Amino acid sequence: MTLLESAAAMRRREISSAELTTAALQRIERLNPSTNAVQTVMADAARERAKQADEELARGEGRGPLHGIPIAVKDLFCTKGVRTTGGSKLFEDRVPDYDATVVERLRAGGAVLVGKTGMHELAYGITSSNPHFGAIRNPWDRDRIPGGSSGGSGAAVAAGMVAMAMGSDTGGSIRIPAAYCGVVGLKPSYGRVSRYGAMPLGFSLDHMGPLARSVRDAGAVLNVIAGFDPRDDTSSRRPVENYVPDIEPSIRGLRIGLPENFYFERLDPDVDAAVRAALHSAESYGAEIVPLRVPDISAINTVARVILLAEASALLEPYVDRRDQIGPDVLALLDQGRLLPATDYINAQRLRRAMQREFAGLWSRVDCLFTPTTPITAPRIGETTVTLAGEDEDVRLATTRLVRAINPLGLPAVSIPCGADRRGLPIGLQIVGRPFAEALILRVAQALVPAEVPVPRL
Amino acid sequence: MSSDLKKDWKKIARANGLSIPDAALERIAQSLDALETDFRPLVRALPPETEPAVSFRFNSTLAPSHEREGVVEDGE
Repeated sequence: MTLLESAAAMRRREISSAELTTAALQRIERLNPSTNAVQTVMADAARERAKQADEELARGEGRGPLHGIPIAVKDLFCTKGVRTTGGSKLFEDRVPDYDATVVERLRAGGAVLVGKTGMHELAYGITSSNPHFGAIRNPWDRDRIPGGSSGGSGAAVAAGMVAMAMGSDTGGSIRIPAAYCGVVGLKPSYGRVSRYGAMPLGFSLDHMGPLARSVRDAGAVLNVIAGFDPRDDTSSRRPVENYVPDIEPSIRGLRIGLPENFYFERLDPDVDAAVRAALHSAESYGAEIVPLRVPDISAINTVARVILLAEASALLEPYVDRRDQIGPDVLALLDQGRLLPATDYINAQRLRRAMQREFAGLWSRVDCLFTPTTPITAPRIGETTVTLAGEDEDVRLATTRLVRAINPLGLPAVSIPCGADRRGLPIGLQIVGRPFAEALILRVAQALVPAEVPVPRL
Repeated sequence: MSSDLKKDWKKIARANGLSIPDAALERIAQSLDALETDFRPLVRALPPETEPAVSFRFNSTLAPSHEREGVVEDGE
């Protein structure tokens, strides 16, 4: 059942928050040993909160669609009185005394927090094979990664533990697990959702957003978490819209950009076919497909890497000498960032400005872009290289190749499932919009995705 | 990148007083060299008038409340 369906059932008194929460906790208990999706289970607090939610509903004090719904958040969102590790041994005993804005707003909206999801160490990677808290496994094939860094959130939603889990996205970390786990993952525009209280990785690249089992659920969550927050200097004052699309929205007349360069190069053939099939579907619903050349995405990826290396290493400078407490892949990235001169960071930010302007020119020609989210489906745990079009490519670079550039541009993007490969593994379609066009990309996504995404048999 | 411009990451680390073991430097040198190859030409092509995409904004909670009112966004 989706989040909005559960909410409707609760309003009709067909089910209670206590029952939903018990079911979520039971499913976590049954499936967490094989997926490791949830790092901290908050059973007692969740049961207590669910009881309160039911009492509030009985008094007619509903707080909206999230009221009484069990959810989870990635273990980098600060939670008052509950351990928040960022997937790192450095912070394994950290217990914040405040809630992140996102958590605060979800709680105010009545959501029941049942757990903190596992993640790639420090959100700095895409495998979610965490050296300190164990590898997170993809519910579709437990020998494969769920993607990352919000891997626990993707796995928890795909496994049906919760209808929604919050993630963060610095270079694809919401959209990648959404694609590999076959769920909906929304990265809103930079500034749309407060970063306050979310452990940072790259200050100017970090975005917060939901992973969910339906597009409308993702929109319902954005309705609750979006909006200005004075505690985040980069928070936008732009008014919030209703982000929940109609059940059967029209996309007639919308112009969908089909990139002629970069995005369809070196893809798994199954990914290529599934994304092109989604384009044909959109065309059959009346959208206009506009082939176009996009700016140099490879260059934007390079700029994004420089910015992230510098920002992450600056942030973690006080900890980098505790080398035995940091996993080898993350340590290698932190070391790289320390070796970049300040001039490289400044020049990367100058290039970013130029690229933002260049990219902005696209939006006079199209309303959104369609691209694959990842060129491959979920790799096996421990797999380091993939071969695409006869070329070997590092799994990390391949996985981030089509999503990373969207972060320095700050654009909203959603990944939705658009089919499966020959092994039955999910394939993701990325829809990218102009700044603050979350409502539009969710409308397009809703037109293409079934009411609830397919789930693995578990 | 021509070989005469190739950076010596070990020397850079030592000059900056960074405690990165040699073995670790050897493991990351290839990635850094590749990044140099991709990044340097982009920097060389930058027009001088291009300013960075970071700016100081006086709308933080540190600002007095009267200065926070009416803040106009830069639209990015």
